[in-house]
Amino acid sequence: MEITNLKAWEMKDKLFNKELSSREIIEAHLKKIEEKEPQINAFISLNKDNALKEANRIDEKIARGERLEVLAGLPVGIKDNIVTKNLRTTCASRMLENFIPPYDATVIENIKRKDGIVIGKTNLDEFAMGASTETSYFGPTKNPVNTGVVPGGSSGGSAAAVAANEVPIALGSDTGGSVRQPASYCGVVGLKPTYGVVSRYGVVSMANTLDQVGTFGRDVRDAVLMLNAVKGYDRRDSTSSKKVIPDFLIDKDNYNDLKYLKDIKVALPKEYVELKSSNKDIQDLFEKSVKIFEDNGAKIEYISLPHLKYALETYYIIMTSEVSSNLARFDGIRYGHRAEKYDTITELYTNSRTEGFGEEVKRRIMTGTYSLSAGYAEEHYKKALKVRTLIKEDYDRAFANHDVILSLVSPILPFGFDSMIKDPVEMYKADLYTVPINVAGLCSISLPMGRVDGLPVGLQITGDRFMEEKIIKAALGYERAVL
Amino acid sequence: MAFKTIVGLEIHVELSTKHKMFCNCPNEYGAEANTQTCPICLGLPGALPVVDKEAVEYAIRAGIAFNCEISNVIRMDRKNYFYPDLTKGYQISQADLPLCDGGYVEIELEEGTKKISLNRIHIEEDTGKQTHTDEGLSLLDFNRCGVPLIEIVSNPDMNSAEEARLFLDNLKDTLKYIGVSDVRMEEGSLRCDVNINIVDKERGLKSNISEIKNLNSFKAVVKAIEFEEKRHKDLLEAGDNSEKETRRWDETKGETVLMRKKFGASDYRFAFDGDIPPVDVSDEWIEEIRKSLPELPHHKKERFMNSYGLSSYDAGVLTQSKELSLFFEEILKYIDDPNLVSNWIMGDVLRRLKENEQEIEDIKIASKDLADLIILVRDGKINNNTGKKVLREMFDTGKTPDLIVKEQGLVQISDEGALSGIIEEVLNNNEQSIIDFKNGKDRAIGFLVGQIMKASKGKANPQVVNKLLMEEINKR
Amino acid sequence: MVTKEEVLHIAEIAMLSFSEEEVDIFTEKFQQVIDFVDTIKEVNTEDVEPTFSINDDTQMLKDYEGDEVLTREEVLQNTKDHQYGYFKILRVVE
Repeated sequence: MEITNLKAWEMKDKLFNKELSSREIIEAHLKKIEEKEPQINAFISLNKDNALKEANRIDEKIARGERLEVLAGLPVGIKDNIVTKNLRTTCASRMLENFIPPYDATVIENIKRKDGIVIGKTNLDEFAMGASTETSYFGPTKNPVNTGVVPGGSSGGSAAAVAANEVPIALGSDTGGSVRQPASYCGVVGLKPTYGVVSRYGVVSMANTLDQVGTFGRDVRDAVLMLNAVKGYDRRDSTSSKKVIPDFLIDKDNYNDLKYLKDIKVALPKEYVELKSSNKDIQDLFEKSVKIFEDNGAKIEYISLPHLKYALETYYIIMTSEVSSNLARFDGIRYGHRAEKYDTITELYTNSRTEGFGEEVKRRIMTGTYSLSAGYAEEHYKKALKVRTLIKEDYDRAFANHDVILSLVSPILPFGFDSMIKDPVEMYKADLYTVPINVAGLCSISLPMGRVDGLPVGLQITGDRFMEEKIIKAALGYERAVL
Repeated sequence: MAFKTIVGLEIHVELSTKHKMFCNCPNEYGAEANTQTCPICLGLPGALPVVDKEAVEYAIRAGIAFNCEISNVIRMDRKNYFYPDLTKGYQISQADLPLCDGGYVEIELEEGTKKISLNRIHIEEDTGKQTHTDEGLSLLDFNRCGVPLIEIVSNPDMNSAEEARLFLDNLKDTLKYIGVSDVRMEEGSLRCDVNINIVDKERGLKSNISEIKNLNSFKAVVKAIEFEEKRHKDLLEAGDNSEKETRRWDETKGETVLMRKKFGASDYRFAFDGDIPPVDVSDEWIEEIRKSLPELPHHKKERFMNSYGLSSYDAGVLTQSKELSLFFEEILKYIDDPNLVSNWIMGDVLRRLKENEQEIEDIKIASKDLADLIILVRDGKINNNTGKKVLREMFDTGKTPDLIVKEQGLVQISDEGALSGIIEEVLNNNEQSIIDFKNGKDRAIGFLVGQIMKASKGKANPQVVNKLLMEEINKR
Repeated sequence: MVTKEEVLHIAEIAMLSFSEEEVDIFTEKFQQVIDFVDTIKEVNTEDVEPTFSINDDTQMLKDYEGDEVLTREEVLQNTKDHQYGYFKILRVVE
């Protein structure tokens, strides 16, 4: 039995049945990481010694017959924009190359409390800004399915680590698709919960009204297991929701999952139908998937989201504005890169920030600063906040009569390195499926629906705010159907 | 004078809450550098703010005390700028929607009461402290970072340094009264900026507004306003005008000086802080806070005038501090003579406090003891001068007046038999004074009384002495 | 049209510096922002409230004891320079 091929929930069962020890599980994954990293580069830092120590602790717990928590003995990959106490947290930036946080993010505390083991910190686009993990200061991550293409981004390290069996489950963050798109590109499951379901305390902000921690697994069960462990109200995050989200209990036996598709009301936004993927094979795969829903008893209806066509502009203005302010704290004084040479305070700031940040980060700070600058804030930022309301209301109407919305995750296949889609229209379309979901704060899951040219393509199932249960059930049903 | 001075004030007040504004670090002054900080106030990556309930409550208290309209929603904004004492690259403050809108403060002028209107009171966080060393270094301490502040912005309704001082006195007393701040300027818990310009009504000219910073005492505020008034006037008279600029008060030079331009271009890029969703403030909560407020100084003053028949001045002094007004009313429980009690407090008690450089909070005397002392004097058990002596003793030792009187045998001698012996002796030894008195020198009687008091060791009842003395002289 | 001066002003308040060529690129980039804004300008937002918060159940004021302060070592562990327990920067006169 190859331990690393197991799903997390399978490993957990074997650990509970004493077929496997925690130490065996961690050692197997460390070995896998050692083997795969030279090709994949999914990790920025490893937590080897501590992970082994933790594994021993779990094994002792088992030996003493103590109660085990839900993540017992499982190795977890953590996107490196989530702070971990005494474990370097870089945001894949030169700015934080040597930053050792003195505190744990709430999600890390939750993982530890649930007996999970942080095995390492995964690669990302610098400060989560990108869709290919190419802007990392620590070099790009390769897609385990085909190392000639990108793993997507920004949570490319987490997606690739899960796809390469370096870890069974991982955390990412999703501001405009950063969990769902890499999940799609690497052929794994990526779940972005409703804004407010998972605490953002300790998650380095990119665009704080859009950011949400998401989870990865090699099947829906694992992504849900990971979510169960980290979700919940946090008094240290004012945007955290007090709604009690129940644990999404999943039967071990998945033969009945198909029933979840029966009678659910599926909406297809006609704006996406009109947009279509320029890749016919991708489009065909999607239509086949819709057919699977239909064949299993789902009701398909076309709907309209009239403000969807403004979602990208709205997102872009809000995102960059928030970025410009959120990244102002990196000034080289209390932590982070400090320039060697400066003669004035302005130079201390300017040199440190100019040296510490990469190109994409600087571009976004600049456009955001421009959007908020004197004379523009009203027509740029405030206007965008109002259009955001309209987009949200479109979805509210859609979900009044429907359970889930189906769409592509990305209309294109994972692309080659340095090929960053040059055509602005294509670039625009590439984000159009994922971004509106963050603008409206919805929950959404990306799961594999097949391959085109040997590369994975994902299906996106979106639900209303706090309706995780609906998208999870639909995803389980679909997953069962395509198994 | 054709010139009119126009002054507006911006006052930052540190609230004396238990915790900081957005984190649970203790809000304490004077700790060792960087020992009262956490990921949130240090602005570490990933840390998030949560608004402190007590801070909001304190700000609402101030809003109610200054007659503001309290907003039903708290919305926080980011004021973006770079400065070494700022940890996040922005200060969390309020832009469009202050917690408290409008309001006013009343000041007493010779010509009557004047209302100084307020523009707003909003909540925000304090910054850290930067110290410059002689070796050319800047040292940063972030203990103060994140301490809750209210910024009180007045309208330009004040027309002199004196009005500004009265406004600040009232503001300070009230803030202390309602228990939201220590208002210690020397510790920086109250900081004041002045906006000033003058208008030449005759010629229809206006000077440009100067903003004066770094004023660390009310005296400095007064002096800076007076200095600027003259500077603006001189400029206008010379056919010139002041610049719209920020200046700073230089205490040693006794003048305002132009501040070096803040580095970088300023463009605060105010934007809503998405980390802090708006919080509703219910009318019920506001009402609850209103009810929990102590009686405010100006209300109490009116009550003292109406129910105790005190003069405006006396009522004003007695209600200046909450503790003093409480002390006064405590004494009234034992002796129902407000004017008499007021006279004692306004006179000897406050004088002694001032001499000892003490506040009323520091007084050792229990209200009942002071009441007993006043009763002893009123009932003629001891005379007025002895009373003052006893009070001094009470100040120093905290002993009860009865004990002091007993220990030192100070009971007043009102017994005519006992006194006539002393009087006779004094008169026998001072024949000349009797002659002087009879020749019209009234002063002589004073001398004789003095001698009698001296002979009685101050214990003689002056009224009885006077009566017996006159009778005896007339006999001779 | 976005001017070079505007770009330089934005760089100044963002505390970033750029080469000549980069500045030119930003004039184009900013133009794109303006185009984006032009697109959403056509949306009628009269009587539309801005979205300040996606969720409406996040009414939060803190009112509890606890949460420890960091030790001074933890506070200073990531700074390049410190002295006497203070963060240290060269004194710079502007």
